[in-house]
Order: sequence, then C-alpha cells, then structure tokens
Amino acid sequence: MPPVLLRLLTPAGVAASLFLLGAIFAVSDIWPDLHRLSGDGAQYDVERLMLLYSTLPRMVTALLAGAALALAGALLQQALRNPLASPSTLGISAGANLAVAATMFAFPTLEGISRDVVAMAGSALAAVAVFSIGARRGFSPLSLVLAGLMIGIWCVAASAILVLLNERYLSGLFIWGAGSLSLQSWAVPVTLFPKILVLTALAGLIMRPLSLMELGDVSAGALGLSVVRLRILAVSIAVSLAALVTSAVGVIGFVGLVAPAIARLAGARRIAQQILWSPLIGAGLLLLTDEIVKRLSDITGGLIPTGAMTALFGAPLVLFLLPRLKAMQRELPAPPPGIIKQRRLSPIMVLSFVGLLVAGVTAAILFGRAPDGSWGLLPVGEWTEILPYRWPRAVAAFAAGSLLGAAGAILQRLTGNEIASPEVLGVSAGATLGMAVALFAFTASGPMLQLGFASAGAAVVLFAILSLGLRSGFTPERVLLTGVVLTAMLDAVIGVLAAGGDPRAMMIIRWMGGSTYLVDGFTARIAVVCAVVFATMAILAHRWLTLLPLGAGAARELGVHVPSARAALFILAAAMTAAATLIIGPLSFAGLMGPHLAREIGFRRAGPHLIAAALAAGCLMVLADWVGRMAAFPYQLPAGLVSALVGAPLLMVLLGRRK
Amino acid sequence: MPDHSPTRRLLMATALTLPWQSGVKAAMPKGGIVSLDYGLASTLLALGTAPAAIAARADWDTWMVEPAMPEGVADLGLTAEINFEVLARLKPDVILSTPFLASLTPKLQSIAPVMEFPIYTPESDALTASYAATRKLAAALNREQRGEDFLSRAEACFDDCRRRLEKLQPPPVAVINFMDERHARVYGGPGLYQGAMEKIGLANAWPEKTNYWGFETIALEALAVLSADARLIAFEPLTPPDILSRLDQSPLWSNLPFVRAGGVSTLPGVLMFGMVQEAMRFARLVTDHLESHA
Repeated sequence: MPPVLLRLLTPAGVAASLFLLGAIFAVSDIWPDLHRLSGDGAQYDVERLMLLYSTLPRMVTALLAGAALALAGALLQQALRNPLASPSTLGISAGANLAVAATMFAFPTLEGISRDVVAMAGSALAAVAVFSIGARRGFSPLSLVLAGLMIGIWCVAASAILVLLNERYLSGLFIWGAGSLSLQSWAVPVTLFPKILVLTALAGLIMRPLSLMELGDVSAGALGLSVVRLRILAVSIAVSLAALVTSAVGVIGFVGLVAPAIARLAGARRIAQQILWSPLIGAGLLLLTDEIVKRLSDITGGLIPTGAMTALFGAPLVLFLLPRLKAMQRELPAPPPGIIKQRRLSPIMVLSFVGLLVAGVTAAILFGRAPDGSWGLLPVGEWTEILPYRWPRAVAAFAAGSLLGAAGAILQRLTGNEIASPEVLGVSAGATLGMAVALFAFTASGPMLQLGFASAGAAVVLFAILSLGLRSGFTPERVLLTGVVLTAMLDAVIGVLAAGGDPRAMMIIRWMGGSTYLVDGFTARIAVVCAVVFATMAILAHRWLTLLPLGAGAARELGVHVPSARAALFILAAAMTAAATLIIGPLSFAGLMGPHLAREIGFRRAGPHLIAAALAAGCLMVLADWVGRMAAFPYQLPAGLVSALVGAPLLMVLLGRRK
Repeated sequence: MPDHSPTRRLLMATALTLPWQSGVKAAMPKGGIVSLDYGLASTLLALGTAPAAIAARADWDTWMVEPAMPEGVADLGLTAEINFEVLARLKPDVILSTPFLASLTPKLQSIAPVMEFPIYTPESDALTASYAATRKLAAALNREQRGEDFLSRAEACFDDCRRRLEKLQPPPVAVINFMDERHARVYGGPGLYQGAMEKIGLANAWPEKTNYWGFETIALEALAVLSADARLIAFEPLTPPDILSRLDQSPLWSNLPFVRAGGVSTLPGVLMFGMVQEAMRFARLVTDHLESHA
C-alpha cells in the first residue's frame, strides 16, 4: 500500500475521510442555496426553508444518530468482550421499535406517554431477554448475537401482526421500522442532542475503569473494580442511547456494529481510542449513507428509508468479522448430555402419544365456529362441504411443524446451541425473496407461480449454504450466522418495499406471517410425504447426531467423517426447512420450540428426541393454526405468527426453568 | 397505522385478548353475489344489487362512508385471506375478484365461478378501467341498462362538478393521506383520484409520477414544490389524529406558501382504490369543498 494511503488508515484518518466524503456530498447539496441563509427570510423562499428546516436538521440528525449508535456499539462490544455486539445484533433497536409501534397502535396520539420511555422499556426488555439466554452459555459471543438476532426477528414478526390486522393503513409503522431520516423541523435533533450529550458524558466517566477491564476480569477485580456493576452500567448507557435514537427516527440498523469495527480495523486498539473514534466514524458514516440515500431517492422518485439501507449493507459485515472472533472466543464445552431424566420409548407410551396426537388433530379439524360465530362440532351433514377447507390446513400444519421440529433438533445438536432454529438457516429468507420476485414481476401471480419462485429462492440459498459450507468445513456457527444475516438483510429489503406502501408488499408480509391458508388437499398430502421421507432420513442419521455433539475430535475417533456428516445433516435440515417454509412461511419458531418441549418431557437421546421434537412442533403448529382460525373469526391470523408470538415467551420460560 | 374506529378496536380486542367472543351474527341466505373488493361491492350497490357477502365488512364504514352497506351482508374476513368456510356455506352464484387476489382464484373457483376485474394494473388508468369493469359487471348481471344509467349518472355528476368549478377558477389541488407525522401518500398518475380530477377539470398540483396504484409515499418536505395557490386536501382518517396541530409547530410546514394561504383542508375518507362510485364521491366532496372556500 502506498504510504499516503497507509497514513489514512488510522482511526483519525478514516473518520476524517468519511466526514470529508459526507461533507462533499452535503456541501454540494446545500451550497447553491447557502447564500439564502444570510437573507432575512422576510419574503418567501422555498429553497431557504428547505435548507433551514429540512436539509440541515436531517444532516445534524444523521450525525447525532450515527454517533450515538456507534458509541452504543462500542460500549456493548467492550462491556461484553464481543466484537459482534451492537444495538442491532443484540435485538435492542428492534425491541425499542416494537414497544413504540405497539404503543402508537394503542394510543395513536400517545396521549401523554413519552415515546422515549416506551422505547427504553422495550429495548431494556429485549436486552434482558437476550442476556438471560446468553448467560446460560457464559456470554459466549456467538450465542449472545444469535439470541439477539433471533429476538430482533421476533420483534419484527410481532410488529407485523399489528399491521396485518389493519389492512389498509400500515405504512406508518413500516416507515418507522425502516428508519427514515426525513425531517421538517429542528425538533428531533434539538431534543435528541442533550440526551445524547448526557449519556456520552456518562460513558466518558466510565472510560478509565472500562480500560482496566482489558487486563481481564480477575486483574480488574484485583484493582478494586466491580466488573459486574461496570458492565451493567456500560450496557445500560448503550441501551439508552439506542432506544433514544429509535424513539426519535426509527430503527437505523447496523451502524452500531459497523462503526466500531471500522475503528478497530483502522487501528483503534485501546478502549479509549475506540470510544473516542467510533462515534466520530459512526457520525461520518451515517451522514455519508444518508446523502447517498437522498440521491438514490431523487433518482427513483420514491421514499427510501435510510435505516433499512444501512442494515442491508451493514448486516453482511457480521460474516466478515467472524474470523476475527475465533481468536478471542473461549471454547465452550457442549452442554452436558442430559442424564437427569432419560425416558425410554415404551410401546404403551408410543401408542398413547399417537392416540393423543390423532385425537388432537381431529379435534382441531372438527371443533370450531359456525358462520354465526357460535362454537361447536361440525355437523356430519356439513362434512363434505366444509372439511376440504379444514383438514388440509390442520394436516399441513402438522406436517410442516414436524419438519421444522426435526430440523430444529438436528440443528441444535449439530451446533450445540440451544437457540439454533431452522428459520434462521436463511433458506426461509431465500423462499421469501423468491415470493417477492413473483409478486413484483407479474401483475397476477397465481399460487403455483408463487410457490415455484419461492422454491427457487430456497434452492438458491440451499446451494449457497452447500458451497460456502464446503469451504469452511461446515462450521456450525458460521452456517447459522450466515442464515441470520441473510434474514436480517431480507427484513431490510421488505422494509424498503413496505415503507413505500405498495399493496404487494403487504402480500409478502402476509405470506411471511405463515398461513396455511392456501393449502389444499394435494399440497397437504405432499407435505405429509415430505415429512415422512425426511424424518426417516433424519432417524437413520441419529448415530451422527449422538456422536457429533461430543466434539469433532471424539467423533472422528469413533469413525465419523465429520465434514461430510455435518454437510449431510445441514442439507437435510435445510431441505426440511424449505419444504416447511413453503407451507407455513418463514417465521413460526416451531423448529426452535419443538426440541425444547421434547427435552422438557424427558427425551434426551438423539433418536427419541428427534421424533418427539417433530411431534411436539407438529402439535404446536396445529394448535397455532386452530387459534389463528378461531380467535378473530371470520378474520384469520396466520399460524406462523401465532406460534411465534406465543412460542417465544414460552421458550424463555422453558429456558429459565432449566437453569 | 390505522383507523381507530370502534369496530376496529373491538375487533382488535377480540383478536388479541378475548378470543371467545362471537364475530358475526344472523343466519345467512344462500346464493347471491360475493365481492372481495370494496370498489366492486359499491358498484354492485349502484347497479341495484346488494352483495350476499363482502371481504372486510367490518371496515366498510370507515373506508367507504357511503354508499351504506345493507345490514344483512356477511363478513368474509380480511381481503387477502377471506374465510373459505364462510364463503362455501354461502354457496354464492358468482365471486367478484381482482388480479391482486389471483393467488386465491383456484380455490375460489371450486366454490363458485370467479369473475376477475382488472382495475389497478400497469396497463390502464383506474377510472377508465372502472368504466369498463362496470359495463362488464352490468352485462354479467343482465343489467346493461342499469349499468348505462349509472354511468350516465356518473358523467352527469362529473359534468355538474366541472361546471360548478369552472365558475370558481379552482386552484390546483394536491390530494394526500398522512402516514405518520413525517410522511404522506400523495395521489396522482393513473390513480382513481387523478381520473376524477381530470373529469371535473381540476389540475393536480403534485407534478411527479406515481406507481401504478396511483400514489407515492413521500416525506412531507417534498410538498414544498406545491405552488402558493395550491390547495392541499388530506383525506381522513388522519394518522396520527393530531397531525395538523403537530405540523403547525414545524417552521417549514407553517411557512409553506399554500399553508400560509390557509390552503390545507381535511375531508372525510374516500376509498383511494375504489371504482366509479368512489370517483363520484371524490368529485362531489372536492367540488363542494372548493365552492365553500371560494
């Protein structure tokens, strides 16, 4: 590298270059009108007004929000010793957004409720959820981020249900979720600035003790530092910063991850350096991005939300940062194999389970509401007429749920991570994007066309997993994080589409909600065949599932070719997920809950656990589908969303109990 | 973000907290016409036929206001996810749908013949397509004469509005819906409002193009391009409800020439994705309003 460039590669150099670039854009933006500011404003001058009350406050807000998020990211990364931590990757921004969305939905004028307080409560809640999952794995960086991204995806799903129930006027919430920086007054930056200033001062106060933490927790403790209290303080400051920004302009994704990462790459090794330079880099970065977004927006003529764009380009950085993580990650032992209450499958139990299962599905089909809303069993006389609309849904829900349950069991064993879920493999995101292409490329797209495109999208991702995996030897975390990142990027794309308000975006969101609505008898039968075939394959692979969690070395000793075993299992799980996604959409979380329910009941050995997980997830989806059909009858809620909304809190309870 | 009608709130409450309340009442008659689209449903009413059931009945009053939907019309649930069980029990003679709902067509066809009416497509503007769809629907119902009568009533209504407006020399008009406190949808292009404005000789103050649904989502500062004599009409429901008083605090907004000139008004809702009836309602509301402010 030429020496000049090398000299630029210092934190100061990078920050300066970003500012310079941003400033070039910004100045070229405002220069022609700058002289108008000196006017007295007596007569009307639209350019002057725009400059004074829209362009300038927007620039200042970009700088403020960028700096605040970057500082939040730097603090989180330091406090958690995790280079992947940020308000986006830990679900903090998404939590704030969900809380604000829910509040605005219930109280459109806010009626005296402070949006800042609501946002803080939401982000704090998300942070507590993420940390309580992370604590179980000793705050391992990857588990924490995986938990954070999952919570983030769940928050997006929960906001979607608010919108789904409200067919015609929804874009407002989406614009918020996608983070638009457009302003018409100084109110936002003027109120944001003092709050950020106070929090920054607080961060400055704990900079020295934070630096001492670099010595390691033990040495820092020896120097008289309460490491835990310090961590909590740093995280609280970060959470507040992120919540305030979200409350002011919406979710600005991944700036808090990218800016500290750039600072580190540019050579900011010490904490003081990082905390100083990250906000400056973040400010420059967001200003630059926003200037580019404004220009893009001028070209396309539509609204492009800045936050979704930063997420779209920032999310892949997680993958880029991953190799760096290896060096500083402590190797964690796999969770101890559960010997506490092992349960064997006796024939009587199998029979009673199957009996319960059949009874449950039958009940879900036969018990319901008549058009007048009254409850009851479906009269036999109406069977031929009505059953074709009910049984395929219940059966397909069961099949898809069990596919996800089995896939989840495989993934959780393979990765040794208890919150690994098939939805985050990225296959679902691929299917959703395929669906989007079908909707936007054709004026009228029938179900077959949509299904075809969704399958193609899933296949592309499947292929990508395979080819990327071959290179990395199918390292479990890498595969999962790739999927999560793909999902986050998908959310960003959907965010841009939905913020524009195109009714077709609503169709995608509805599909993402995961409804068995369009399933017919034929699809249901195919789903059952898929479930049986794939589940058989999975059961045949149970030896791998028993041995691989012992660790790559041990498995090799026992005669397993680790890369090909992992590849086979990943591909199997991905194929199962693809099949299920096409039926109940990408958001059910059934694959996450099934394995946990199975373990809770007492199935621990690989084979029985797999089967029980599949059945439990299947039942869960049947229940979710039934609730979705009945709760707001004749209006229907998508089964995927119902199961995600109910299932995620349930999962937290289960995890909490197993401490 | 939403309307906040009591029905909607009740529905939300039902959906989220009290899943055990009953939603619909009264036994339903068999047969008849079912419409999955508000515009087609209101055209049916114009042709003198009440539908047996429509999608999203619960929201009709908020979004349509008029014509009133008769009491006995059943609710099929959300437009994109109508309740097939309710529909199948009705045994309708025909189902009216749009290409937007093409993914439902195969299942609908197993219940009753489906007639598809393209209104909002890249190929045609909404009002022209609505005229064609009205004729097609009237023919299918063997009510060609009523159809023609209705369309000449529409023409007469537009002509009347045009004459009244000619006397006023009306300002150019921009039509919006607020999305949140910083964003709005502005209408034009091939949309229904634009079609109606052309019929009654009203110039659209919004100069830019829109998507084929006839709207564009914009940040509010983009409205600065409107001329000083322009009139901005925001249709209800307002989101958030106190948007106008919030905007008054923005120096940019309150200094915009048309805002200073008092050229901002709100009107009761008109379905933006409607058909001829909604175009007439739009024309009447806007003409009355401009007359009262002349």
